[in-house]
Amino acid sequence: MTTIPRNLTYQGIPIWRHERIIRWASQIVSGVVVVALVAWFFINIGSAIQERNIPFGYSFLSRAYQTPIGQHILPYESSDTFLYALVVAATNTLFVAVVGIILAILLGIFVGVSRLSSNWIVSRIATIYIEFFRNVPLLVQLFFWFYILLALPPVREGYVIAGNFYVNNAGISVPWMAASSPGAGLLWLAVAAAGVVSGFVVHRWLGRREVQTGISSYPVLYGVAAAVLIGVVGWIVIGLASGAAPFVSSYPAPAGRFGRIEGGFTASAGLLGLLVGLVIYTSSFIAEIVRAGIQSVSRGQREAASALGLSPMKALRHVTFPQALRVIIPPLISQCLNLTKNSSLAGAIGYSDLTNVAKTMTQTAPAVSIFILIMLAYLAMSLTWSLIGNLYNRHIRFREG
Amino acid sequence: MATDSNTATAPVLPPPRSEVGVLGWIRANLFGSRFSGALTLISVAVLLVGGWSGLRWVFYEADWGVISQIGGLFVLGPYNTDQACPGNNCFWRPQVGLLLVSMLLGMIWVVAGGGTGKRVAITVAAVAAAFAFLPYSLDRMGMDVRLLLLANLPALALGWALARYTRFGTVKWAGIFAISGFLFTLLLLRGWEDGGPGLLPDLLFNWVPGLEPVVDLKDWGGLMLNILLAVAGIALSLPIGIALALGRRSDLQVVKGICVVFIEVFRGVPLITLLFMSQVLVPLAFPRDFPLDPLPRAAIVITLFSSAYMAENIRGGLQALHPGQAEAARALGLPGWHTTLLISLPQAIRNVIPAIVGQFIALFKDTSLVYIIGMLDIVEESRAYIQGNPELLASAQELFIFIAVVFWVFCYGMSYISRRYERHLGVGER
Repeated sequence: MTTIPRNLTYQGIPIWRHERIIRWASQIVSGVVVVALVAWFFINIGSAIQERNIPFGYSFLSRAYQTPIGQHILPYESSDTFLYALVVAATNTLFVAVVGIILAILLGIFVGVSRLSSNWIVSRIATIYIEFFRNVPLLVQLFFWFYILLALPPVREGYVIAGNFYVNNAGISVPWMAASSPGAGLLWLAVAAAGVVSGFVVHRWLGRREVQTGISSYPVLYGVAAAVLIGVVGWIVIGLASGAAPFVSSYPAPAGRFGRIEGGFTASAGLLGLLVGLVIYTSSFIAEIVRAGIQSVSRGQREAASALGLSPMKALRHVTFPQALRVIIPPLISQCLNLTKNSSLAGAIGYSDLTNVAKTMTQTAPAVSIFILIMLAYLAMSLTWSLIGNLYNRHIRFREG
Repeated sequence: MATDSNTATAPVLPPPRSEVGVLGWIRANLFGSRFSGALTLISVAVLLVGGWSGLRWVFYEADWGVISQIGGLFVLGPYNTDQACPGNNCFWRPQVGLLLVSMLLGMIWVVAGGGTGKRVAITVAAVAAAFAFLPYSLDRMGMDVRLLLLANLPALALGWALARYTRFGTVKWAGIFAISGFLFTLLLLRGWEDGGPGLLPDLLFNWVPGLEPVVDLKDWGGLMLNILLAVAGIALSLPIGIALALGRRSDLQVVKGICVVFIEVFRGVPLITLLFMSQVLVPLAFPRDFPLDPLPRAAIVITLFSSAYMAENIRGGLQALHPGQAEAARALGLPGWHTTLLISLPQAIRNVIPAIVGQFIALFKDTSLVYIIGMLDIVEESRAYIQGNPELLASAQELFIFIAVVFWVFCYGMSYISRRYERHLGVGER
């Protein structure tokens, strides 16, 4: 009979191979290493700031910036503070982002649908458009458009189209509206926004009624009518109350010794180049997203729609596209985020966006403090975008039920 | 008995002539409906007018002289100028790097790629050799430059023979060759003084002859700079991205938290802002005498930025993987790390190859942003050149079209290779 060796002491897994201990140890070690590294950086930065007398702090924000900002959407004077200048720069970024995203989405949907067209030539053109513009760096495209605009004749010899449109190397000037007083202007803008919202509500309500009851309700017609009605009534009421129309039209015209164009709205060459470049570049990505989304809807859906007698356009609008949106929206949101971040290339072609102004500010104010602000601003923008994306995701998941 | 008329089949008629052949194709694809026909007519009209004026511009109005005037600066930037390399004889160093690339491609032709490697190898070596016949005068592009360019063909053959006839013909050796070749090229591009590259104790390298002059990192430029940054970024951002993706999916809360913060911060801020911060903030974060030039700083920032995106792509692939795969591996007794490395990751990566290659392309395009830290890559070099020579401002369009085409060839080439490689792997077929 063999003897079974007996050991009375515990011989389980050795302590260094125990799973729970490994897990805890690895977490503690990685945490400590990262914290130590970050702390080391900050201690270095702190001591560098002290040793080399690098200014730090946020007292500069209330100082006057004393530097002009090229194009600005908000009113701005050189005597304004750093804080206000940053706000102006952030508005410039937001303006480009919002206008650019709207245009890029429209163009992207158009190109994406064209690429799926049964027409050979149209789909070929769309393919070439996509493959060309998304494989060339945005910076190169921006320079291309910018230098085309710069090659236009100087202000005095610029083109004048129909008496009111000025095209020259300073940009393009068009007639625009100017608020007669800030209060009345803002008030009417709020009323107009409310009108647009109620137009959408009316459109949605009538559209649903039409689908459910079969009574022709003309949702688009009544929706637009509601929006216009509210806008016009608001215009008249505010005009009567304040004694002047909330907005008066303002025409661009050469003024001063150098013939600078004043009045109206002037889009500088930088802004135009940036918008054109961003819109074309981003639309080529959005087109691919739209194409993938539409292709993800099964062919049976389209066939069923045409069996029900819907025209191809109607089938796309009411059957394919709503289903494709589920696939389209998440990558689309990340393209919107990309466009917002890519607008930081503005500095290369002289448009004063957040990054460009911040870069200029570092010459007269503490760079470290400014960059912490800028990073927070961009993080806030990107978090807003991902919040929108997550909300939408939850919205469609809920409806999938 | 059934009559013949019940069983006899109708004769098979050929399709009507309007449905087959060229006419049928045109009918189906160009004039399928009234709307489609109108679209065809409009686009043909636009193409004719646009194409005509475009061609006229390209051949008659455009002045392409600016491109030959910039010439070598496109490729090397200020690398071979008097100020960076007194004597202007540093051009052979990047060319040796190119020869190594040709050799590596020769090896890849044999060991991997399934036909794609062969095409890429031949194309690259042939294009490089063709550049030897550029119609420049000999004093602008010397005989030595041309011979070194021609040498790409023998280099390709050498690499091919090495892989075909020796035991170095494996993927592992090709990888070792690629990494050591890249590091050697970096060293060669910089040069070193007598007594070694200065990285290791002088005692060891006392006998090493110098490679003078040492070219300062800030003078590296042109397309060479874009390619170097892209290669380093691509090689490093994939493993870092994989690590971050695994970390983000880990159930170790601390590790997961670190990865999430890292990814979201780097994805949330524009690269250009990060690059500018690397210029302002990073020198403060290290001790004063820490040797870190702007170029490696930029390379690190671009790599980290790209790996944050890479991590999200790979995480998508991991999420799309059926959990049954990992469960089956565990049921077979594979330990956790083996499950991840051998079962989950290969499938996840294979499924997101398009996204990964898209990120590589984005990285290559992003290398043009180094202008913000004062490096003269191909774009900034050209822009600076026309700013310095205002009489060339009118040729800016020609210049940027040329650069766009250069970038397009590289980026489209990358996506073309990835599509062929995917087909080779059989993605979507299994």
